[in-house]
Order: sequence, then C-alpha cells, then structure tokens
Amino acid sequence: MAFLDVHDLSVGIGPLQPLDRISFALDKGQILGLVGESGSGKSLTAMGLMGLLPLIGGRVTGGSIRLDGTELGDLSEPTYRALRGRRMALISQNPMTSLDPMVRVGEQVDQVSRMHLGLSGAAARSRSIDLLTQLRIPDAATVHQHYPHQMSGGMKQRVVIAMALAGNPELIIADEPTTALDVTIQAQIIQILVDLVRLRGLALMLITHDMGVVAQACDQVVVLYAGRVAEANTVAGIFARPAHPYTRSLIDCIPRLGQAPGSLKGIPGVVPGVGNYAGGCRFHPRCALAQAVCQQQVPPLQTRGQGRVACHFSLVATDG
Amino acid sequence: MADTHTDPSTSLVALRSLTRRFTSQTRLFGRRRVLTAVSDVTLDIARGTVTGVVGESGCGKSTLARLVLRLLAVSSGSVHFDGTDLVSLSGAAMRALRRRMQMVFQDPYSSIDPRYSVRAALLEPLHVQGLRPPRAEETARVEQLMAMVGLNPSLMNSFPHQLSGGQKQRVGIARALALQPDLVVLDEPTASLDVSIQAQIIALLEQLRQDLGLTYLFISHDLSLVRYFCDRIVVMYLGRVVEILPTANTPPRHPYTRALMDSSFEPDPQRRRVVTLLQGELPDAFDLPAGCAYAARCPGATARCRQERPDLASEGAHALACHHPLN
Amino acid sequence: MGRIRGSAPGRALCTWRGGLSAGCLMLVALAALLAPWVAPYAYDIQNLSATNQAPSLAHWLGTDEFGRDVLSRIIYGARTSLSVAMAAIGVSVLMGMCLGAAAAYFGGALDRAISAVVDLTWSFPEVLIALIFVAILGPGLYSTMIAISIAYLAQFSRLTRAQILAIKGETYIEAATSLGGGHLHIVFRHLLPNSLTPVIVAGMLATGDAIILEATLGFFGLGIQPPKPSWGAMMSSGTAQIFLAPWTIIGPGVAIALAVLSINQFGDALIDALDIRSKLRET
Repeated sequence: MAFLDVHDLSVGIGPLQPLDRISFALDKGQILGLVGESGSGKSLTAMGLMGLLPLIGGRVTGGSIRLDGTELGDLSEPTYRALRGRRMALISQNPMTSLDPMVRVGEQVDQVSRMHLGLSGAAARSRSIDLLTQLRIPDAATVHQHYPHQMSGGMKQRVVIAMALAGNPELIIADEPTTALDVTIQAQIIQILVDLVRLRGLALMLITHDMGVVAQACDQVVVLYAGRVAEANTVAGIFARPAHPYTRSLIDCIPRLGQAPGSLKGIPGVVPGVGNYAGGCRFHPRCALAQAVCQQQVPPLQTRGQGRVACHFSLVATDG
Repeated sequence: MADTHTDPSTSLVALRSLTRRFTSQTRLFGRRRVLTAVSDVTLDIARGTVTGVVGESGCGKSTLARLVLRLLAVSSGSVHFDGTDLVSLSGAAMRALRRRMQMVFQDPYSSIDPRYSVRAALLEPLHVQGLRPPRAEETARVEQLMAMVGLNPSLMNSFPHQLSGGQKQRVGIARALALQPDLVVLDEPTASLDVSIQAQIIALLEQLRQDLGLTYLFISHDLSLVRYFCDRIVVMYLGRVVEILPTANTPPRHPYTRALMDSSFEPDPQRRRVVTLLQGELPDAFDLPAGCAYAARCPGATARCRQERPDLASEGAHALACHHPLN
Repeated sequence: MGRIRGSAPGRALCTWRGGLSAGCLMLVALAALLAPWVAPYAYDIQNLSATNQAPSLAHWLGTDEFGRDVLSRIIYGARTSLSVAMAAIGVSVLMGMCLGAAAAYFGGALDRAISAVVDLTWSFPEVLIALIFVAILGPGLYSTMIAISIAYLAQFSRLTRAQILAIKGETYIEAATSLGGGHLHIVFRHLLPNSLTPVIVAGMLATGDAIILEATLGFFGLGIQPPKPSWGAMMSSGTAQIFLAPWTIIGPGVAIALAVLSINQFGDALIDALDIRSKLRET
C-alpha cells in the first residue's frame, strides 16, 4: 500500500467537472511529477489532496485519497486541519504572494512550528533558523528578521519551503515551485527539494509544466491533460518510450542541445477551458494522430509495460 | 575592446562603452549609493542576425535593452542605430526613429493597456506615428496583423483580461511589428509562459524573422533557449559582458557561462545535472568589488581574480573576460 | 444606438439603479430648465394675505412667509443648486485632473510646487474655503461657484496624482513610449483614462456635497441673494416658522436629499459600468 494512494479522484466546481478519475500512487523517498500545461487540473489535484477545494467552491465528487492508509475524504475539517502542515504540506506556486507582506519571514516559519509541534517561541525560532540554514540561506539569523519585500524571489521560495518543512511533514506537494524564478535559481531550488527527499525520506509531489524539471528530479511521472490522466510511467520509461502523443509533444517543447533551428514547434492550439472539453478524447483537437474514434470514444487508461496510457493509438507498440 | 571586427557603419546597432548608473535616493544622513546597472558595454549587432543576451535577473540585460532603444537615458558611452547617434537626438526625431526599432515586453499581463481592445492596441502604433490607415481599411489592417501572429480575428474586440498569456504575447508581437521595424528587442518574451506556449511563440518569432528580414536582440535568463534561438550569445554578469560566443554551439570558456549551461535541465533523465557550480544569487550591483565581479561565486577564483578585473579580450569572434578560462 | 449602449454611461443607464437615478436627475434637471413653464407661479410673487398656507390645490406645497408658492420656489431653486454644484464641480474636476496629472507625470520641482499649494487648500475644510472666497468676492452666484470649485480642487488633484503615480511605471506606459508616443498621447490616452474611475466617484460624491455646501452658504445668506430662490436659503428662512409651517423646510430639504441621492446612485452605477472586468459588461 503506497504512502499516498489516489484512486479515481474526481473534482467538481459548481456544475463543471474539471477533474475526472485521476489515479496515482506515491511512496516515501520518491518524487512524483504531475505534468501538464496551465489549465490541465494540476493545481486542482493539489488542492483536492490538501482538502482545500471548498476555498474555491469545489468538492471531491468521486474516488478516494489515502494517506498512510487513512481515507482523507472521510475526515472532518478539524481533523484535516491538523494534518495540513503537520503530515502534508503545500508549497504554492507564487512565492511573491504566499508570504504575508506585513509579517517578518522568520515569524511566519516560527508560526508553523509553534502551531503543529507545540514549540515555545525561542525553540521555534532556533528551529526556523536551522531550517533556513539547511535551505542554504546565508546568514539565516539576520534573514529571519527580514520582511518579504527585502528578499529576492529565490530567497522567498526557500522561506516558503522552510514553512512547509517546519511541521515535519511526510508528504510535500510543490505546486510549480520554480515557475516565477530564473533558471539558475530554479536549478538550485529543485536540487534542494531532491536532496530533502533523499535525506529525510519524504514523499514529494512535484507539479510542473516543464519536462526538463521532470527529467532532472522525478522518479514517477503522471501526465495530465484537461482533467484526465493521459499517461503515467517511470521517468526513464516515459522519456525513452513516450506512449501518448501529448507526452511526446511536451518533451519536444524543450529546446535540446544542438537542436536545429526551426525545429521547435510547440503544441498547436490551447488547453480548453473547463466548459469546453471536447467529446471522446479531450486531446484530439490538438492531436496530429486524431481519427474519428478519438472524437467518439473516451480512450480507457490501459496498462502498457510499467506504465498506463489513455490513447487509442498510443505511440508504443503493445507489448505482451 | 571586443567585437571591433565588425565595421560599426554596417552594424544595425553599435554600442560603445555603454554605461548606466542609478543613484539611490538621498537620505537625511548617510551617503548616496550608486548602482551600476550596465558597465562599459561595447557591442555590435549586425543586420538580420539574432543576438542573445543572457544572464540572471539583475545582471543588467533588461537595462541594456532599454538603453538600446533609448527608453532609458545613457550615463556615458554611445548608442548608434544605423549610423545615427541616439544619445544626441531630439525628442521628436527620436520618436520618429522609433518606427524602426520596437520592443516586445516580458510581462504580457501588463504590457497592454487594460482598457484597450486588441484592435485599439494594434492601431495605436500607427496612430502615434501618423500612419493611420483610412477608416474603411482599419479592420483589414488589424486582421492582417492578427493573421501574421496567428491570432483568431474574432478576438479583435477582446480586452487583455479576456485573453490567455500566449494570446496577449502574440498581441504584443503584432503591435511591435505593426510599424515594420528593422530591429525588434525581445525582453524575455516567454518568461512567464508555459513551455508549450513558449515553444509556439519561439516558432512564431523564427517564422516572422525569416519572412520579414528582422534583426532580433533576444534577452533571456534561459541559456538553452538562447542557444536554440540565437546566432550569437552575449553573457552578462553584474552589468558587464563576460563572454561573447560567436555561435550558439561554441563551447563556453567562462566559468559563469559554464555554470549557466549546467542550470538548464535537458529533457533526458539519463543526463541529470549535478547543480553545484552556481551557488547563491547575484549580489547587488551597488558598490561593485574591485576585481572580477564573479569571483565571489566562482569555484576557481584566485587572489588575482579578486584584485584585478579581467578585460574583455577577443580571440577571433569569441570574446572572454576571465583570468582562468576553461579548456 | 449600439455605440451609445456600449459606452460606460450607456451601460450604467441600463441598470435599475443607474436608470432610476438618472431618470430622477433628468426630472430635476428638466424642471430646472423649464422652470418658467413648469412652475405654477413665478418665484417672487408675494401674496401677503396668504402667508404660510398649508399645502392645497392652489399651492401643492403650500406658501412661505411671504406668500410665495413653495413648489415654484423649489423648482426655480433647482436651477441654482444644480447649476452651481455641477458647474463648480465640473470645473474643479478638470482643473484638479490637470494639476494632478502635471504633478505626477513631470515630477520633480513641478510636483513639489503643485503639491504644496494643493495640500495647503486640503488642510482647510471646504466650508471654510468657500466662506473665505465669498468674503473676498462678495456673495452671489459666481463667487459661490468659484468658492466651491476651489474648495474641492485639492481632492481631485490628489486623487489624480496618486492614481497616475501608481500606473506610471506600468509596462504599457513604457510600451506606449516605445511606439513613439509623446507626452500628450501618454497622458491623455493612457494615464488619464486609467485614472478616471476614482476621480469620477469623487466627483459624483462631491456634487452631492457641493449642493449641500451651496445650501449651507445660502443658509447663512452668503450664496445667491434673494429674491432668487436657493434651497439652502429657503431652509434657513423656514427655520423661523418650523412649527407653524413645516412644509417650508421639508420641501427644500427633500429636494436636496433627492438630488444628492440620485447623483450618488448614478455615480455608483457609473463605477460599475466603468469596470471593464464586471460580468455585467456585454462584449
């Protein structure tokens, strides 16, 4: 039984069904990459796991989420709240807005320790400084007293990670933690997250739209498109033999060393809004391989080797 | 002196010892601090080429872009556009010259006036430069521009908040092209977009360059993107040029460029990077140190590096400012 | 018709709040405009044998202490109140926006100079400034207008300045410069249009205030001089017989309230209509 087990999770917002039967599993010490373009449902999945859907008027409409055997869907809000920050933590997308601009950053990290671990003020403070140092913030004791506006984006993101770690969680969900940052800072932050997983045996769900980040950091990959799983596999498998055309296209979006000019194409069209999903396979309007059946039938999620893929014409030949 | 092989009169843009300083506000007590955003940059941009300027946030590349277009005044040095000295040009003459040099901005969310529809935004450059088409032809002209960047003409009366990031950026590109410029400066045009949209926009830019014979100055912090897109790469650090790679595939010899390369992740799990070469962040450009500005973060820094700033020296078309270059 | 409906005032008119309040305002304005034809009597016809009469068929709102028809005086009084308030605020908004825009756009010494003068007027209450100017210029229609204009100038200048400072650094302003836009283009096509909303709110509210300010001046006999009617002056003279003939106060009081309420409501509707992100907007 995996540490985090998500089975057929469906999420609704009002009359719409943005997420449709998402399934994946994550163990401790592993990094799972949840990949897709903006609007594919990645952040919704994160919010669903954290039980934060009511904040945006959403709710889980089906499926189950099990954390270390406990079914999260059955929990009352107070119990869920006790879990958040303590056993599972969320690193939000934009560090610029995740931090309270009126409160010193050190205080914001302290709050987590005090609330979840019951530490006293001084103990929480020294723990925070410790965490900030581990996250390679130079002169952490001074930085502890800074306000967010005095810090760069990369530093702020480290503070947000420290807040996530302060409760000693076992699961961290990082929602596009490096999107707003330079590639050099992104590289450092990703390295920090990978080191954390290896050192502390955490489970990390890394949400991103960048297959380069996935290749660098992840063990398992789940590709989402328009609220459905398109493909899931080990990282080696998904890059060596991408089975879904969308996965292939996403990989091709990253310029490679020595790539011929003019060969970077991108994926034609845009991710459909929730009300505008196509019938049958939701990707078919943008797919080069689309046929009549793609419009008529939803492709089932089928096992292919070590992974699963939902496509009528997956790129990999069916092996036994 | 670097890059003197190109005759300045044939370059579209010629920068000589370009410097831009900012002074912090005077305080009641305490001295003013001077931030040198761009320091002694000499560069030529040949017609029809794509020159990339790469570096981390705060290295001065955006400031450089604005100096080239005279959106910022120059502290010292010169900027020549097609032989014309921009620094001494009058306001009116500069406004007229802007027809030939345009910019695509980084943040699509704020680069279009929220009260302007796509149509109004695309007509604005023509209006401002006195090139407004007759009423009857306005719609056709706007449709033509929208088609050029792959925008659905049905979006003509939409407002920025109704468009996606990629669509907004296409409007920004169309607006820059409306005046048929010679030079287009692209200030991190894809930084806030998903990689898939980024790839679309880059493909569009490539196509447009071929079709319209444009010259690009491409600013980015992503070296792998710059290596794909550009003919020539200028690497900046704390306001100075530290290396100029004559082709995209030239192996870098400056430790900073090497470190930048290692920060780009290849979409290949077999080739994972070990991110150790670049630690910390770009320091403030206030009160620059005496020696090489990169010495504080460079694993190979020696005493000489900390005391003596290396000049930008050319070996053929490859320019380098380092005491101990790689290979 | 499509272009009218598409504009912000047009959209405001299509809402209940906007339509009703605008309708009310139109009634008041029409009454003021067509006073000689609408009012049953001239405002200065005295009838000393019929003073302080209760409302009747002959005099729908009764008569005042000189036997003049209250309704007619209210209708003529609308001319005063509306014209003074709207003209004064209109001028004030225009001057204030120009000053604020100049200060914010050019900055430096000009900004400091303008801000110093504006802040000086800001530190006095509007009533006091109005009184000062009326004292200097003598009471009457034009001095009242000038006094009110100057009293509210600071508000619009500061608002405009703050708004423009906030958006001056936006990328789209830089973009307009890069296209070759000159100072005028940037100020009138980008900065001011994006600064309008709070200024219009303030303008609307100030119009209501100005009607009251004019009434206040009139109450003290410093505004329009008799026998020309002014709602404030009517209320003032009405206080003497408040128990004897309450309609002489209630009439103009309700008129003031109605006018101010309509203006404020229409201002609110206009704000909603100006918000391009509002879901009410049809594209």
